[in-house]
Amino acid sequence: MTTKKGLTYKEAITEIEEILQQIENDEPDVDQLSEKVKRLSSLVSWCREKLHNTEEEIEKILKEIEKN
Amino acid sequence: MYERFSLSELNGEVKKVLSANFTAPVWVIGEISEINVHSNGHCYLTLIEKGESEDRIVAQARATIWSYTFRMLRPYFETITGQQLTDGIKVLLQVSVEFHELYGFSLNVRNIDPTYTLGDQARKRQEIIRRLTDEGVLTMNKELELPLVPQKIAVISSPSAAGYGDFMEQLNNNPQGFRFYTQLFPAVMQGNQAEQSIMDALDRIYPYEDFFDLVVIIRGGGSQVDLSCFDNYNVAYHVTQFPLPVLTGIGHDKDDSIVDLVAHTRLKTPTAVAEFILDGVAAFEERIDLLEQEAMELVETRFEDERESLEQLTREMSMLVRNMLGNRKNELMQLTWKFRQDTMLSLQKREHNLGKKLQKVGFLVNHYLFVRYQKIAGAQYLLDVSIPRSMVVMKQRLNDYIEKFGQLSQRQLEKEKHWMAIAAQKGEMSDPRNILKKGYSITTYRGKLVKELSVLKNDEMIATRFYIGSILSKITEINKSDKNDN
Repeated sequence: MTTKKGLTYKEAITEIEEILQQIENDEPDVDQLSEKVKRLSSLVSWCREKLHNTEEEIEKILKEIEKN
Repeated sequence: MYERFSLSELNGEVKKVLSANFTAPVWVIGEISEINVHSNGHCYLTLIEKGESEDRIVAQARATIWSYTFRMLRPYFETITGQQLTDGIKVLLQVSVEFHELYGFSLNVRNIDPTYTLGDQARKRQEIIRRLTDEGVLTMNKELELPLVPQKIAVISSPSAAGYGDFMEQLNNNPQGFRFYTQLFPAVMQGNQAEQSIMDALDRIYPYEDFFDLVVIIRGGGSQVDLSCFDNYNVAYHVTQFPLPVLTGIGHDKDDSIVDLVAHTRLKTPTAVAEFILDGVAAFEERIDLLEQEAMELVETRFEDERESLEQLTREMSMLVRNMLGNRKNELMQLTWKFRQDTMLSLQKREHNLGKKLQKVGFLVNHYLFVRYQKIAGAQYLLDVSIPRSMVVMKQRLNDYIEKFGQLSQRQLEKEKHWMAIAAQKGEMSDPRNILKKGYSITTYRGKLVKELSVLKNDEMIATRFYIGSILSKITEINKSDKNDN
């Protein structure tokens, strides 16, 4: 599953919490449930990745800022 | 005619009047507008007084602190106020009023009361705070939402400050391995230029408002004095208006500066700022970890429930199936019983039919057997009566034959005997001895009879037998022609 570009931490955690809420309320049936869990895991992984790994894009922007 | 003075006489009179009226030092309040410390250690000041509107100077005087006094006054003032004796601050000075004919009016500073400056600063601070409050901007920066994960940080600091190094070290060597992106916007952090320099730095960050998560203003290490630039209205106002949250780590223990007050979050040191940021990021990671864990547990429970209800269903299902099977079995048993009954009935019927048929067949067979028996009995009669009878006849005949044959054989034997006698006579005649007796001879060569000459050669020996005696002769001539007999 791909995460859309430009996702923010806030959007990610909001969606994670929404999914959790849905799971708590037994909303998704068993088939949907695994999709939901997959989505949740991918969001969590996305956050962890972003927390720990360098993003080339940001590095580039920083270099631009330094030049000015 | 009026009295005339020379300038020196006049200055001398002024000096006399002043000395007479200011016999002891007086305490005077003034704002330092200029301050110069000469290389010889003396300190030269310009003191001013501003009007109500603060932009008009209503009084001005020169003042001097001789080096001996300055060496004591300066540390005393700075220790108590926490700031340098510098321009722009209001001071309460004990001065003696002096007038010199050549240099004119000046004040000789003897003592200083730092508590006045402290009070004045507090008052000024209160004024600035009131002004910011009145303008409704005091808490504006605080109202900004702190980003969940502040990773992109604009830093305002002096590049050489120890505090900046501490901050970067703390942030980048975090044990969790979080990644941060920092950009330094250098600024002068103390003295007269600080105010403008800090505002310029904020202005340079402003275009990248969307990029950065927050601004950090840090200072630290080195001199802990002169924080007046952080009690400045303009700097404070800039901070309140800034669209990104501003964190301060200005590094002082005394009362918060106004910039600290209006900043989103005030921390004591640059290191503390770094820790604050790290804590926030760590809290976020902890939160997603917990959410994930919670989700996984929920899902596990959910699957467990599903599994249980499935097992329940399976149990119910197997009960149902068992019942159904039981019913079927009963039905089948009934069917089997019925089938057996039917079959037996049918078999009995068939058996009955078969019995009839057998009866019929039996009759037929008996009849046939009877006919056969009759025939065999006929044959038996033949065997028992007719054959022995014809045997007697045959025996009679055979005896007759034997008798006849015996007679015939006797006759034949006699005939044969006669023939045999004649043959013996003939045989005696053909005996070689009888022939030799008549004058014939027998020639042999190497033990074999000689019947033709082809086996003989000249000089070979041949034997000739006569009726009585024999000779050996050597062949000298062989004549194969029959004509030369003799």
